[in-house]
Amino acid sequence: MKALALVLAIAFFVVAVLYWLPNGPFGHHLKHGILFAILGILALVWMRFQSSAPARR
Amino acid sequence: MTFVQAMLLAILQGVSELFPVSSLGHTVIVPALLHWRVDRSAPSFLAFVVALHLGTALALVVFYRREWLAIVRGLARSLLRGRIGDDPEERIGWLLVAGTIPVGILGIFLEHPVRALFGSTATVAVFLVLNGGIMFLGERLRRAQRSGGGQSRPLQALSLGDAVKVGFAQSFALLPGISRSGSSIVAGLLLDLDHADAARYSFLLATPAIGAASLLEIPRLFAPDARGMLGESFVGGIVAGVTAYASVAFLTRYFRSNDLRPFGWYCLIVGAGSLLLIATKVIT
Repeated sequence: MKALALVLAIAFFVVAVLYWLPNGPFGHHLKHGILFAILGILALVWMRFQSSAPARR
Repeated sequence: MTFVQAMLLAILQGVSELFPVSSLGHTVIVPALLHWRVDRSAPSFLAFVVALHLGTALALVVFYRREWLAIVRGLARSLLRGRIGDDPEERIGWLLVAGTIPVGILGIFLEHPVRALFGSTATVAVFLVLNGGIMFLGERLRRAQRSGGGQSRPLQALSLGDAVKVGFAQSFALLPGISRSGSSIVAGLLLDLDHADAARYSFLLATPAIGAASLLEIPRLFAPDARGMLGESFVGGIVAGVTAYASVAFLTRYFRSNDLRPFGWYCLIVGAGSLLLIATKVIT
């Protein structure tokens, strides 16, 4: 799951950059890029939660 | 648009954004009913709408300021710890993050096509009737759950999957005439929240959605074409904020002991009445 989270994070950041490029394949869309950058950050958060040991009660 | 019309629209926005009656639906139907000449695609009008939404989002942040502070602290704590703990605010924080994802994705990709497709006064009136029906159906299903022995659970007991479901329900508000708070409160009720917690989650969930959407549009406020209405936008934002604050204060008290049915009746009557006025060419 950690690897999946990392792959997703990288994929989201790549898509974000592609949206921000003036002549990117999807056209220039600032808001779409921000959305994918946030999704990338959330995927990193997911990875962080996967890295920790399970809670002890 | 005159100054008085702008202020009336600001009051309408502040109230109807949080009452489960669809703000977008009302800002389409009321100007049409009063025969106001409002160019909804004009840069100055779009800037004005951004200011109204900013005012509404700010009112929600101020109203729930203590909760937001605790939520932000909780999110930071869980990030440092690397897991979501049992602290209610921490859990609610992540529920809000999960619930905001659907509306973020669907809003960015579908907002413009959906509004272009369903933005006419007649479709708004139909969706307003449907909005009333959703609230009645939600209350009916909720009562059936309770009579079957189902108990309410606290907001922090929702799972992240439940939060995403409420977030999807909130996305139905992309359809003009469907209420953001109405659909998310109904989804919360069907997930066994009581009315007060369903409304609280709905209003907290609305804050990042409305706030982020308006923050991203701030450049519109200062666009050269929008300068003609900068004064109206500024005052309108304050008026919308004040009315939104009063609305959320009223609704949080209201939902402690009341349900969605009065709003359901209101939407049915206004939607059906609007359809009648459209059929008789009073609204064009």
